[in-house]
Amino acid sequence: MDAEEPPITLVSKDGESFTVARKVAVMSELVKSTITDNEDEDESVTPEIPLPNVKSQVLQKVIEFCEHHLSDPMNEIEKPLKSKSMADVVQKWYADFVDLEQVLLFELILAANYMDIKPLLDLTCATVASMIKGKTPEEIRATFNITNDFTPEEEAQVRDENKWCESS
Amino acid sequence: MPTITSLHCSSETMECSSVSKSPMKKARFSNASIATKKKRKAFVSSTDFCTIQPHLYGVLPSGNRLFDQAAAESKDFSSPNQLLSDECWYNALEYCDGASLARVGQSCKYFYVVSHEPSLWRDLVLRINQVITKAGPTWKDCYVGMQNQKHFVLHKPLRVRGIYSDYLHRLHACRSFSIPQQWLEQNDSENLNNALIDRVHYKSMTIERFEREYEAKNRPVVIQGGCKSWRAFKRWTDQDYLLQKTNGRTFRATSGTAPLSANFTFQAYQEYCRSESLEEGPVYLFDRTALQPRSVLWKDYMLDLQRDCPYWDPERTDTTHDLFKVLGEGRRPDHTWLICGPRRSGSVFHIDPNATHAWNATIVGRKRWIFYPPGVTPPGVMPSDDGDEVTLPLSLGEWLLQFYDEHVKRLTNAPLDKRPIEFTAFPGDVVFVPHGYWHLVINLDETNIAVTHNYCSGSNLSSVLKFIRERNDQVSGCRDRPESIKPEHLYDEFVDELKKKYPKLIDEALQNDAWACDAWRDKVVEVGENENNGLNIVGAEQLGSKSIMTNAKEDAAFTFGFSL
Repeated sequence: MDAEEPPITLVSKDGESFTVARKVAVMSELVKSTITDNEDEDESVTPEIPLPNVKSQVLQKVIEFCEHHLSDPMNEIEKPLKSKSMADVVQKWYADFVDLEQVLLFELILAANYMDIKPLLDLTCATVASMIKGKTPEEIRATFNITNDFTPEEEAQVRDENKWCESS
Repeated sequence: MPTITSLHCSSETMECSSVSKSPMKKARFSNASIATKKKRKAFVSSTDFCTIQPHLYGVLPSGNRLFDQAAAESKDFSSPNQLLSDECWYNALEYCDGASLARVGQSCKYFYVVSHEPSLWRDLVLRINQVITKAGPTWKDCYVGMQNQKHFVLHKPLRVRGIYSDYLHRLHACRSFSIPQQWLEQNDSENLNNALIDRVHYKSMTIERFEREYEAKNRPVVIQGGCKSWRAFKRWTDQDYLLQKTNGRTFRATSGTAPLSANFTFQAYQEYCRSESLEEGPVYLFDRTALQPRSVLWKDYMLDLQRDCPYWDPERTDTTHDLFKVLGEGRRPDHTWLICGPRRSGSVFHIDPNATHAWNATIVGRKRWIFYPPGVTPPGVMPSDDGDEVTLPLSLGEWLLQFYDEHVKRLTNAPLDKRPIEFTAFPGDVVFVPHGYWHLVINLDETNIAVTHNYCSGSNLSSVLKFIRERNDQVSGCRDRPESIKPEHLYDEFVDELKKKYPKLIDEALQNDAWACDAWRDKVVEVGENENNGLNIVGAEQLGSKSIMTNAKEDAAFTFGFSL
C-alpha cells in the first residue's frame, strides 16, 4: 500500500465528510475521473469530492461496500439468477449487505449508478431481481407499491400470451 | 464499358441542405442554386437516421409527457420509474429469468414495456446455450418456443400509452435507424457522402495495375462486377440452395452488443434475417468453416475468382499473393469467412487482424462502407492512453446518431490524405480493404451475404511480420483451434517457411524495421477541430459504450486486433 497516496474526502449531500483511502474512493469511476482531471493539484491537500446526489446514510454504505470489496472482491453474479435468495448467488457478506429496507436499497442503486461503481450496481440490481423472482404479477405490484394501469383488455391479452410460464 | 470513376468531394459546395423527414429542420438555399436551378445536392446527416418507425410498445420521448393531460392530472398513480431510473430498472431486469420477466411484464404498463426490450430475451436465449432451430418473429418467441411448446402463443406487441422515456426511446432509435435512400442508389455524382473511392471494372483491372495502384499504395478500390460472374453470385441468392449445401450444420453468430454468441441452424438464421426483429446490433454470422478448400461452397467462388480477380488467386506462382499459405491450411491463422447478416447488422470501426489486407465480395445485398485511413482515428473512437484498448459505441445506430455529423465534417474538411471514404458496395462488387484502414460496414438489405478473405502479400509483408513480432498478444485467428500455430510460434514458423519459398522477398522485408503503415505507429494523427474527437462529453460510460479488448476472445470468430 502506497503510504504516499493522500486519502480522499467525499462530501455527502448533507455536507458530511468522509475521508477514505484513495484505493477505495477510485472504485467509483466518477471519483476517479474527477481526480485525474485535477492531477496537477497540490498533493499535500486532500482532494474533496462533492457528491450532492448522495445522502450520508447511503454514502456510508457505499464506502462500506468499497472497502470490503478491496479485501474480498465480490463474485460475479450469474445471469439470470438461479435463486431468489441472494446468499445462493453471492458471498455471504454481500448477501447480508443488501438485506436492507427497500427505500435504502433503491437509494443505493441510484448512488451506485451516479458514482459509477459497477459491482455495487450489479449487486443491488440483482437484489431487486431477486425480489421479483417467484412472485405473481399481483405480488410484484404489492412489493413495489405500483398501480395496475392496464385496461382489462390489455391485461387479458398479456396474461393469455404468458400462460407458458405458469406451468413451471 | 469499363470506366474509372474517382469521386472527389467538392469543397466549394458547402451548401448543406439535407433531405430530411424531420419537420423541424430548416432548408437553406443559396442564391446561386435558385438562380441557376441547379439540382440541389444533399449530404446525408444524422437526422436522416431518425427512425420513422414508432416504438413497438408505444414509448415516446420524454418531452411528449407535456402533451399528456391525463398524466399531468393524475395524482395517486404510482409508477416504478418514480423509484428508479429506466436504466436501473433495465439493469435489474437483466438478472431475471424468463418466467420472472413474463410476470413482471404483467404487473403494469411500465414494466410491460421495459420487460419487452428485445436484448433481454435475446440474452436469455443465448444463455440457454443450445442451437436455435426456430428463430421466432421475436427473441421472446424464440425463448418461449424453446421452453414450452404446449402453451406457445405468439407474442403480439401491445402499444401502450403513457410511457415516456428518453432512455428507452433512444434504444429504439438506435436499433431501428432509418437507411437513407441515397445509400441504396447508384448515382455517385449526386451523393456527396460518396467520397474518394475508385471504382474499376474488373475487366480493366490487371494484376500489374492492382499491385501498382492499389496494393503498393495501400489504397482501397471497388472492383465493379468482380464477383458478378461467380457461380456463387447466381446460386447463393437461392436460400434453399445454401440450406442444402450447408447440410444441417450449425453456425455461430455474434454481435458487439451480445454477451455470448448464438448458434443457429442455417434455416433458423434465414428466418431470423427475415423477421427484422430489430434489436440493437443484430447477431451477425461470421463463419470460417463453410468455405473449406474443395468444399462445394468454396468451388462456387474460388474457381471464378481465379479467372476474374487473378491478383487474388492463391494458387498462382507468379504473384506474392496469400503468403500465409506457406504454413499449410490448418496451421495458418483463420483467413476465410462466409458472412451473413440481416438489415442494420454490420461491423463498427475496426482494423483487420494481423495487419492483413482483405477482399470482401458482395454476393447478396448492399453494404455501406466507411473507411478512415491508417493512423486517422474515426469520430467516436477513443484509444486508451497506452493504446491497448479502444472504446467506441458497439452499435452502429448509436454511432450514426451521435457521430455521423462529425464524420461528415471530415468528409468535407479534412486534408485529402486524412479524409475518410464512404460508398455503397452493390452485389457483384468486390471491395479491397488495404491493411491498417479503419472500416465500418452496414448491411442494407433484408439478407446480406458476402465472402471475405484476409491475406498477406508482398505489399504488406513487412507490416505483418512486425505486427506478429511486436504485437504478439493481439495476434488473432489462431488461438481457439488445436491445429493452428500458436501466436508465440507464428513469427518464427512464418519466417522459416518464407525463407524456403520466397527467400528474396523475406530478406527484403526483414530489412525494413520501421512501420510502413501509420496504423500501428505510436504517434496517432488526429484530425478535426475538436480535441475530443467530436465528443462533447467525457467518459465512455455516458456513451453507453464499452471497451473492446484487443486480446483474442475464445468464442469470437475473429477479433479486431488494433492498437494506436
